[in-house]
Amino acid sequence: MRPVKPGRIQSAINVTPLVDVVLVLLIIFMVMAPQMHKGPDVDLPDTTKPRDQGDERGRILVSIDEAGGLWINDQPVAAESFGDSLRAAAGAEQPDIKVVIRGDARLRLGMVRQAMLAIEDAGFHGVGLIAKHAGAEGKGD
Amino acid sequence: MHVQREGSHLHSEINITPLVDVVLVLLIIFMVVVPIMLKGYDVSIPRSSAEVVPAQAEEAQVILSIVPASCHILGQPAGEGLPEDCRVTLAEHEIPVADLAARVSEILGGRPAERRVLFIAADDRLNYEGVLRIVDFAKSRVDDLKIEFITTD
Repeated sequence: MRPVKPGRIQSAINVTPLVDVVLVLLIIFMVMAPQMHKGPDVDLPDTTKPRDQGDERGRILVSIDEAGGLWINDQPVAAESFGDSLRAAAGAEQPDIKVVIRGDARLRLGMVRQAMLAIEDAGFHGVGLIAKHAGAEGKGD
Repeated sequence: MHVQREGSHLHSEINITPLVDVVLVLLIIFMVVVPIMLKGYDVSIPRSSAEVVPAQAEEAQVILSIVPASCHILGQPAGEGLPEDCRVTLAEHEIPVADLAARVSEILGGRPAERRVLFIAADDRLNYEGVLRIVDFAKSRVDDLKIEFITTD
């Protein structure tokens, strides 16, 4: 630090506490970020060039876990009430809101196709199949 | 820190504190936004109320069929890239899966964007990730290729 002569006022702002706070925030976000997505942990398929599907907000996330259980956003739903739950989740925005499927990589295609048919029957046209870029870090983002 | 003598010397150091602040804030913004960006493929199922445009009916519909007898992806594929040991049938010709992107772009690349549709008839027993990798590869050389999953039963 600059030696201060007696009687002179030190005019520099001390940035050390600011930097400390910012670093702590950074660490908190680093820890929280992987757990922030909605729904169960799903091992998404690895592909080479998945296209952008926008972000989670404004989408209905349908997740299919390894055992074939269905989730809408962060709620597990029974297969029988899937269509009704989906319409309830869309609310007034149907049919403009987009539905995306987060299917587990270990599933058989049939499970995913049944979910696509159920989504179609509920009145939504077209779905996004969510994948992750091969080699990307993280489970489920 | 630099010791100032009697106020006559100029400061020659750049003040990096605002730079560090901005960079850290940007870093935090990206860390929050990146995990909720979704990536994937738009697909659909043909509607049962067959809305076939006459012009579309004139051109042959291109069907890619994947069956477990010739494409062994019943389990999750290992590693990255295309499943090995896989042959698929595109527009009634059986081809190795490695040739798929070239053949798809040959057949569909010349069509107007709204008629670039690839129908996929894949067996329900196949592994989801394996099929999605084939879809990814089929789309790789044609822009705006629409994917329609048709039922096999």
